[in-house]
Amino acid sequence: MSPTRLSRCGDGYFANMTRILKASVTALVVLMTFAMGWAPPAVADVDQCAPPGVQSASALPTNLAAAAKGPGEDKYTTASVAPLASVNRAALGLITPGVLTVGTLSDAPPSICIDSAGQFTGFDNELLRAIADKLGPQVNFVGTEFSGLLAQVAARRFDVGSSSITTTDARRRTVGFTNGYDFGYFSLVVPTGSPITGFDKLAAGQRIGVVQGTVQEAYLVDTLHLDPVKFPDYNTVYASLKTRQLDAWVAPSQQAQGTVQAGDPATIVENTFSLDNFVAYAVAKENNPLIDALNSGLDAVIADGTWARLYSDWVPRALPPGWRPGSKAALAPTLPDFAAIAAGNAPAAAPSGSAPKSTLAQLKDSFLDWDLYKQAIPDLFKTGLPNTLILTFCASIIGLVLGMLLAVAGISRARWLRWPARVYTDVFRGLPEVVVILIIGLGFGPVVGGLTNNNPYPLGIAALGLMAAAYVGEIFRSGIQSVEAGQLEASRALGFSYSESMRLVVIPQGVRRVLPALVNQFISLLKASSLVYFLGLIASQRELFQVGRDLNAQTGNLSPLVAAGLFYLMLTIPLTHLVNLIDDRLRRGRQVAEPDDPLDPASPARTQEMV
Amino acid sequence: MSTPSPEPVSLAANDVHLSFGSNTVLRGVDLDVPAGTTAAVIGPSGSGKSTLLRTLNRLHEPDRGDILLDGRSVLKDDPDALRQRIGMVFQHFNLFPHRTVLDNVTLAPRKLKRLGGDEARELGLAQLDRVGLRHKADARPATLSGGQQQRVAIARALAMAPQLMFFDEATSALDPELVKGILALIAELKSDGLTLVVVTHEMGFARSTADTVAFMDRGQVVESGPPQKVFEAAETERLQRFLSQVL
Repeated sequence: MSPTRLSRCGDGYFANMTRILKASVTALVVLMTFAMGWAPPAVADVDQCAPPGVQSASALPTNLAAAAKGPGEDKYTTASVAPLASVNRAALGLITPGVLTVGTLSDAPPSICIDSAGQFTGFDNELLRAIADKLGPQVNFVGTEFSGLLAQVAARRFDVGSSSITTTDARRRTVGFTNGYDFGYFSLVVPTGSPITGFDKLAAGQRIGVVQGTVQEAYLVDTLHLDPVKFPDYNTVYASLKTRQLDAWVAPSQQAQGTVQAGDPATIVENTFSLDNFVAYAVAKENNPLIDALNSGLDAVIADGTWARLYSDWVPRALPPGWRPGSKAALAPTLPDFAAIAAGNAPAAAPSGSAPKSTLAQLKDSFLDWDLYKQAIPDLFKTGLPNTLILTFCASIIGLVLGMLLAVAGISRARWLRWPARVYTDVFRGLPEVVVILIIGLGFGPVVGGLTNNNPYPLGIAALGLMAAAYVGEIFRSGIQSVEAGQLEASRALGFSYSESMRLVVIPQGVRRVLPALVNQFISLLKASSLVYFLGLIASQRELFQVGRDLNAQTGNLSPLVAAGLFYLMLTIPLTHLVNLIDDRLRRGRQVAEPDDPLDPASPARTQEMV
Repeated sequence: MSTPSPEPVSLAANDVHLSFGSNTVLRGVDLDVPAGTTAAVIGPSGSGKSTLLRTLNRLHEPDRGDILLDGRSVLKDDPDALRQRIGMVFQHFNLFPHRTVLDNVTLAPRKLKRLGGDEARELGLAQLDRVGLRHKADARPATLSGGQQQRVAIARALAMAPQLMFFDEATSALDPELVKGILALIAELKSDGLTLVVVTHEMGFARSTADTVAFMDRGQVVESGPPQKVFEAAETERLQRFLSQVL
């Protein structure tokens, strides 16, 4: 088609679209240059994923409740461990021999987080690295969701779960645990000036936030008999608290202390000790060789001072009376006097001078932090964008191929073809996307683990593709069925078989008619691709949303998510306009400018929907 | 100007029955079309004329009865192979709108007779020549007039070198001034020696061109014979009533 023809058929439309496109692109470019050209003065002070250092030490909370029967009741910590030298390093029961695959999260600094270089770190993960050094295997961290972490460990998707996991009896039914390497306090965080001043003031009718599946949730439900508001991660809870959509947040103390910054409109009002549970690494229940080996390694890093060094650097807090890390035979670690350091810090720590910021300033800080845009954009561009495109593209191919098969089966005269297609379509269209992703990723993951090397990426593509196929199949089916019966009849009258007729005559026409609907489907697929983060991705596999979310988790600021959103718009807006263009062309019909035959008396008849 | 056609064949239908569920459409149709002759099928709407054509080329499988080409039953043949021998032209043309005029004509020879690109193109252009539309070879069907589209449809059917041609109300969807041209083209095919079955409402055409006229009503051939006899000496009351309404 020549350019003249093209412009003839959509002059006004093109001009219009070009204008809109130009405007959006200009806006994005301006935004990016602006963000990138900005000097990076204070990136470090928003980075919560760096060791706070021993100077930030805190003393034992004074308002500890109900801790008395804690360590004494402990029946799980092993009396001793096998010497490190006797561990059979070849029989650790690892998914991939020589590699310790670790499921972790990025949202709970300083215990577990992802640093500005995109590496998973934090106290728990650094300690695990030190333990693994003693045992031999390389450590491979994979980000996941807390709600699915223990199930993924039990299903041997991960060798180890590392996420400040408190070892409750309920969790011991799903997974096994190592000896403790940390302990937990709960903190009660409330908006500044709240009438809630302690755990005893919590009551029914208040909106109390927790992260789903955590011990805090269990504490609120089982011990306090309250009904908490559940969130997927710590940042979302805290953002809701700051905007006063929550009355209180019950958080692990490490997270609370790492997250609540001076000047925030929130305060930690009380702490409580995490009853008789300690914090440990989760391992599949039956994998005793690995549990024993990690216990040996843990005692070894306690003995050589590594535990004390990392603890002092990342999470310096006075140990609760009677508790210490490792087996009962492990040496007591030598730690600085945190209480004294904390006492010395006390005046400086009280942020008396910083007045609470106005709501508008809060919003501006949360959404429009240019330094974070600058920080986010290179990662979004180099890691997020390619991954999002790969996920969407591969899933689209699966969706198109399988969708076409479903469509053809769905209009077949054979019942044994029609029924399975119908059932498939009903099931996959009827399920929420997240459920499909989790079922395929976690349900089929172990079954095909050998094929995919336990990489969730192909599973995510498969799940997205299978879901897309159900929708694409229905789109194709409606398109094919909209083709006049006379087309099939004419083709069959020429001597073509049914399948040849479908392939050569009916399907090509049907597909053309549904191109707009198809592009819309690709747009929703593009957006749905963000859901693969539920399956746990290593840093280089993160797509746009996850990149934004990690930086959001690391800083507690929403700007990286807004930046990720801009990337989505950059992809979806042109696609939306492509839909309009196709739609327009289909509605008006292709206007082929054939040289009209001056001798032909008949005026060309124009059929509306013909392409 | 015609390409060498294969030997025409005779067509016979014996007691052909067809129902769709509880709806009986054909109730024992008999028809005899000798090789190289033209049969016109007339009758009121809903009498089963179009269905008869689609049953004769087995787009619908008859429930009972037999269909014979040159005296041999074709009901056991491969239906796709049978349809390659029978060209069909429809009331609404049914050209393939996503393909050019030339592609419409050459699609079946290329795919079914495995003709090469150049050979198919030559054949296609020759057929378009035959209907006077060579200059529209690269146009899309949607840009043609109804009469031109029907000519392309005829060229498309002819490209498979059929031994038999069916016309299903081929002029009913055309503007009046275009009807004549198509009828003239059909008459030309007859003079080329093809066997034709023409379902039509054009009584003048049936009278002037057909060798046999068959009058159908309620799923049966009620009366048939040479045009003079059918049009001027109708025996049955139903045919007389029909003719009094259309003439």
